[in-house]
Amino acid sequence: MRRRRPIPHLGGARALVLHRLHADASALLRQLGAIGLNADSAWPDLPADAALADFVFLDADRAADAQLPWPPGEAPMPVVALIGAEAPGRVEWALNQRADAHLVKPIGNAGVYSALLIARQRWEERQALHREIAGLKAQLAERRTVVRAMLALSDEGMSEAEAYSELRRQAMDARVTVEDAAARLLEARADKGGARERTRRS
Amino acid sequence: MRKRVEIGLLFSRSGDYALLSGASYAGALAGIQAVNADPARGIEFAAVERDPAGHTERYGPLCGQILRESAARHVIGCTTSWSRKEAIPVLERHGGMLWYAAPYEGFEASERVVYLHACPNQHVLPLLSYVAPRWGADAVLLGSNYVWGWEVNRVARDLVTDAGGRVLAERYLALGDTDVSRLIEEIRATRPSFILNNLIGASSYAFLKAYAALGRADAGFLPVECPVLSCDLMEPELAALDGAGEGHLVVGPFFANGAGGPGSSMEAAAHASVLLLADLIEAAGTDDPDAIAPLLGSRAFATPLGEIRIDGQTHHSSLPALVGRIEGDKFREVWRSEGALAPDPYLSRYDPRAAWSRPALRVVS
Repeated sequence: MRRRRPIPHLGGARALVLHRLHADASALLRQLGAIGLNADSAWPDLPADAALADFVFLDADRAADAQLPWPPGEAPMPVVALIGAEAPGRVEWALNQRADAHLVKPIGNAGVYSALLIARQRWEERQALHREIAGLKAQLAERRTVVRAMLALSDEGMSEAEAYSELRRQAMDARVTVEDAAARLLEARADKGGARERTRRS
Repeated sequence: MRKRVEIGLLFSRSGDYALLSGASYAGALAGIQAVNADPARGIEFAAVERDPAGHTERYGPLCGQILRESAARHVIGCTTSWSRKEAIPVLERHGGMLWYAAPYEGFEASERVVYLHACPNQHVLPLLSYVAPRWGADAVLLGSNYVWGWEVNRVARDLVTDAGGRVLAERYLALGDTDVSRLIEEIRATRPSFILNNLIGASSYAFLKAYAALGRADAGFLPVECPVLSCDLMEPELAALDGAGEGHLVVGPFFANGAGGPGSSMEAAAHASVLLLADLIEAAGTDDPDAIAPLLGSRAFATPLGEIRIDGQTHHSSLPALVGRIEGDKFREVWRSEGALAPDPYLSRYDPRAAWSRPALRVVS
């Protein structure tokens, strides 16, 4: 079961609104202030410290990639798209920014709070997925190391079962993972090989 | 000649929570009377009344009727959160302003509403801060099955955990349901430090009566041992309790003194709404809500709730928090905040470490 989330702490969080001066921007700034965030709008350029903001709101109607200091879709914080024109190209732009939530113009008092919470949760989930995928990729890469180590041991005449037992034994002796033991074994072989090369050359 | 200004009154005169909405209605009328009787005023009010009779779905259409069929731009009204949420889209459509003078669960800040009663940092937070160090922090949370109970209990669940306590049970009854026997059994079995009662109307009265009977059978459930805490119980409801509320705890920005004046904080807040509105219409020279809204935070207002200020950003009021013990037909003050508490409708400034800096102590008897 998913743990219930505590009272969301948004007080003092910083929000940037990439939108020209307009009633939609002022309504949004008003509501963000009422919720307790420090919010500023900017157009056309974001301030130099934009990457430190806790939330960013992007005007999907007019904003362009060049206005953002990060590559499309890689904002280092939750992104909320402000959508007026529902032209497919503009919606696509918001999707390419990986907007975590959106608000439909005209912006009123309703919807801002839920957009903040939804965007933050989606963003956190996405970050957690990225971390998990990176971990799995690393593990996958190490699997190749294990296979190479076992092949090296089979070259020395061990059966598959013996090679794996040997790796496990080395891992347990050194108190490391099988993957680490495999890497050490390959390193040691490479060193020995290098030493033989040097001996032969001298 | 004084300028005549129409204002809407949108209170249920019958239905599940008629005792509460009736108190607000009386307060609004008293406010109108006070304005009209004040020779120093440049305006006088004429009430445009609509009665939703306790039916949530009637608030939106009747609010629309007031704004369309009369000159009124301001509506004093609504009691439950559902009724307020029905009215807000109508207010947005017609450019009206609602003066909402009931305690509520927070997490809202509409530009079309002025909030004149307590939000969570002005009711449930000070109440639990008073109780947890004295009785302990293990709670049973009760509520009527709608947004007030859900949200106040949700906040309470966090506060109880931050205070080092446990939530032993969280139970809801349908509005108007008076079958409280299971709640009583569960409380008897779990023996909490206190019970937070967010039941409303008939359910709340039935629960308090059954709990008083439990206290007679088992002294561990007398109010001094295990009090029932309410954030929205008002003095006019005490008569419906037949003494069953005696010794239990309440919180509010104002308690009736029994010697004239408003009979409850809801009556006082509705009265205050009318006075603020009169002050602001005079200051703005118009009753146009868009001209009045920017002036909300501009000054302090003398009201039956004391001198209060409105936060221009959230449209919520700074209010004192008083904790009271029910004694006869009154709430006797046992604790009061140092001055008014600035509103924090989203609990954005809630800091668990500051709120619970002293560990909760269980009273050993």
